[in-house]
Amino acid sequence: MTPTQKGYAPNLTVFKKSLKAASVETSIENLISLLKRRQIKNSRPCAMATAELLRIVVARDRWTDLGKLIAHIQDVGRRLVEAQPRELAVGNIVRRVLGMIRDEGNEDRKNEGSDSGSATGSPQLEFSIPAPTTTKRPPSSSLRFASTDGVHFTEDRPTTRPPLMTSHTSYAVANNVPVQQSMFNLLSATGSPNLTPSGANSPHGDSTPHPFALSEKMINSTKDLRAEVVNGIEEILDELEQVDDQIAAYALEHIHSNEVILTHSSSVTVYKFLLKAADKRKFTVIIAESYPNDHEETHLAVMGKMKDPESEEEDKETYLKSLQAAGITVILVTDASIFAIMSRVNKVILATHAVIANGGLVAAAGARIIARAAKAHRTPVIVLSGVYKLSPEHPFEFESLIEYGDPGSIVGYEDGTLVEKMEVDNPLYDYVPPDLVDLYITNLGSHAPSYLYRIVADHYKPEDVNFNNPELLF
Amino acid sequence: MPSTDSPSAVETSQPEVAAPLAQTQPNGKGKQPEGAQQSSANTEKSKSNSNGKPAGNAQETSSTKKLTPAELKKKAKEEKAARRAQTVAAKEAESAPAAPELSPAGPSTVPQPAGGTSGSQQRGDGQKGSRTQQRTGGPVGNSRNLPFRGSQKVAAATAAPVVPKKEDKTVEFFRHLYRQRTTSIADASKEVHPAVLALGLQMGNYTICGSCARLVAMLQAFKSVIEAYTTPPGNSLTRHLTSHVLSPQIDYLASCRPISISMGNAIRWLKLEISKVDVDTPEAEAKKDLCGAIDVFLQERVTYADKLIAKKAAGKIKDGDVIMTYAKSSVVQRTLLRAFSKGKRFKVIVVDSRPLHEGKHLAAALVNLGMDVQYCLLNGLVHVIQNVTKVLLGAHAMMSNGRLFARVGTAIVAMEANEADKPVIVLCETIKFTERVALDSIVHNEIAPADELVTPGGPLTNWEDMKKLQICNMMYDVTPAEYLHMIVTESGNVPPTAVPVLHRMGNESG
Repeated sequence: MTPTQKGYAPNLTVFKKSLKAASVETSIENLISLLKRRQIKNSRPCAMATAELLRIVVARDRWTDLGKLIAHIQDVGRRLVEAQPRELAVGNIVRRVLGMIRDEGNEDRKNEGSDSGSATGSPQLEFSIPAPTTTKRPPSSSLRFASTDGVHFTEDRPTTRPPLMTSHTSYAVANNVPVQQSMFNLLSATGSPNLTPSGANSPHGDSTPHPFALSEKMINSTKDLRAEVVNGIEEILDELEQVDDQIAAYALEHIHSNEVILTHSSSVTVYKFLLKAADKRKFTVIIAESYPNDHEETHLAVMGKMKDPESEEEDKETYLKSLQAAGITVILVTDASIFAIMSRVNKVILATHAVIANGGLVAAAGARIIARAAKAHRTPVIVLSGVYKLSPEHPFEFESLIEYGDPGSIVGYEDGTLVEKMEVDNPLYDYVPPDLVDLYITNLGSHAPSYLYRIVADHYKPEDVNFNNPELLF
Repeated sequence: MPSTDSPSAVETSQPEVAAPLAQTQPNGKGKQPEGAQQSSANTEKSKSNSNGKPAGNAQETSSTKKLTPAELKKKAKEEKAARRAQTVAAKEAESAPAAPELSPAGPSTVPQPAGGTSGSQQRGDGQKGSRTQQRTGGPVGNSRNLPFRGSQKVAAATAAPVVPKKEDKTVEFFRHLYRQRTTSIADASKEVHPAVLALGLQMGNYTICGSCARLVAMLQAFKSVIEAYTTPPGNSLTRHLTSHVLSPQIDYLASCRPISISMGNAIRWLKLEISKVDVDTPEAEAKKDLCGAIDVFLQERVTYADKLIAKKAAGKIKDGDVIMTYAKSSVVQRTLLRAFSKGKRFKVIVVDSRPLHEGKHLAAALVNLGMDVQYCLLNGLVHVIQNVTKVLLGAHAMMSNGRLFARVGTAIVAMEANEADKPVIVLCETIKFTERVALDSIVHNEIAPADELVTPGGPLTNWEDMKKLQICNMMYDVTPAEYLHMIVTESGNVPPTAVPVLHRMGNESG
């Protein structure tokens, strides 16, 4: 992997900036290509980028009802997930947003049903009213009703409104059908009030003032919903920003003084956790370098040059406080020494790439060895993970989650003909089964691996779990 | 300097005793510029503590003559305990402002009568103050006259670069294993034979690497030492050779890289051989006998042993097998070559690790013969282990409790193989068996220079300047016996529990 050129290589910050100017579709395409080229990689940047993109989609896209919005977000989400299926955080964020929209919809419907009792939100009511007139109803009416209740998430709803309306109005005129029940009629009916029969002989004559109120309400509610959803996404973004600090807040509960802690690679979550604990305790941290994929970053980190992900200015590199400056003794070891040194380790703290609903996790390569060695020495293994890394996906074949990296970092061309004669593997991630993990610390607290499925259930709606492969939906 | 101060302190007033003592404390730690001034021995980093201590104690006795011996003893004990606690705990400056406050605490207790337990108490306070001072870094600790603290600080800051303090970069729980390695022949003693000189350097930079290779090379070099040896008049070969000629060679080799267990076994055997030489044997004949014995030993214990092991182990490789091995072992390589030359077609997965990348050499050797080789580092181990049918491991030594002492990382491979239910077979000559036992990899190990882990131009350049950063580069680890299923030796295939038996038969009967 080539080192990232400073400034020019597109990354999360560049992407965020581009969001302001570019159109929605351009932004989607942009993110897809960034994901494909791994220019945005690792859970947090991916999650951030996805949330930012979805916010733009919700805020700028023209949508009139939640069903359409959900369909659209599902579509965008599907494209993003297909671009980088192994970044499970992307799918997680999409699911979170979808679940939130559904919640908003439900709430909205409940409110309207209670305070107005009008036709917009409650289909039963709507169906019950025209019941006496069904005999007079033209066959198209069923279509009309189906298309009316947009809040019902009929995702394949036809979007071609004008022809429908004209045909409808003509029917309405011909059959003397009251037109007020449908929202489509509202627009056309108010546009041509003379076509509407005067309410005297209509059974619903008293409902004529409703159209105006309804249309008003609809516009308002869409606006409200839009703001609500955007707010919700911003909340997710806030969560993503604070998640490391929230996890770090639990540090003192888990680290006692004079402890020896083993961790590997360079995770900001783990670093912040250790730094927080170092405020009050003195301890030793052993860091395995996770050669060959993450050793450069790990070396930089132990030299006190760990980049602060929250720093906004990209030209000025700000570093996190080094562990040593916080009073921690840092010992760097090779990955091979893990078993040898494990007998002195009190706790293993691992960062993770993604957590799977069964309590297993996908983490930087080498994590499995560490967890297994810890198990062999009965050393507790703690995994730090934001809730956003928790994925409801549960693949049958865990190898499918593993991404393979550049074998050139193991055997390069300087090794001569070895390159072409030999099979070289360089997996970037390991799957760690749940029985090797003793504890998960998320921003919500500490959980046993067996409890994770409950948190998954709390965060994602069952109907969104398989949004990206519709064949598994039902 | 403090020694001139303290007598006056005794005469004038007790409280001041605390202050100079407080200042001697940092000296004891040896990290202060003052410490270096006080005694040159203090610059020696790891031993500085013990060196500094007597000075401090002597001064203490001189300053508080009125104390009874028992009290003195007690006080010394307290001090020692405090100092020990200080060195053990890894600490950091968190009380930079607290330090100046603590030090004046000594003068504030002026009315205290001289001597007695209260005096020692007070001294303890002063110590603590100095300790925190010291943690904040050199400059503050230097300020001996508090009123001039500010200016003193500046002075100390300018003085600091002159005598840079050196942090102990050794990892605490491996501290007993650190040895300074000889990397040049400049300071070798004149008794060392040129062949041994060269060999030492080759071992030091891993040109000759591996338990067996080092053993063979050492004995060959000793052969030339013996051939070049002439018994000085008035001495007998039996008495003189071992102690006066062989020992410097061994010391030199050990200074280049610690002696391996197989080398230790061979040295013990050679010494026994020499002691068995009859005093009446003419020197030329004795030398010839010894060289002959070395040749026989090498043939029996290494050459034929390797051949036999390779033959036996190769018989266990079947067509279609997937053999995993870790790093590089000469006998594993020989086994694979033999099986391949017998027409077996199998795949080899070589697992490797930093920093030596020995497996790459093995992989290259196998690939050049046209074998099917897959290569990965430890990060890829768990992804390839499912397809493996057998794991062949080399050994540095077999411990008497059945544990395998081998290149660091071997334990991980054995552990994963065991977890995946793959048979783990160790190929090991009986010369590598030892009566030593090992429970962990920390008590007995070899620590290589940490700089071997630093990639030139990489982020770790100048890592010594980073405070509280230690790099640990150990060479071996101990694999629990339960991960090993079979040990193939020249005396038969045995379970790990049979190691002590074979060791008694092979290495101690001779």
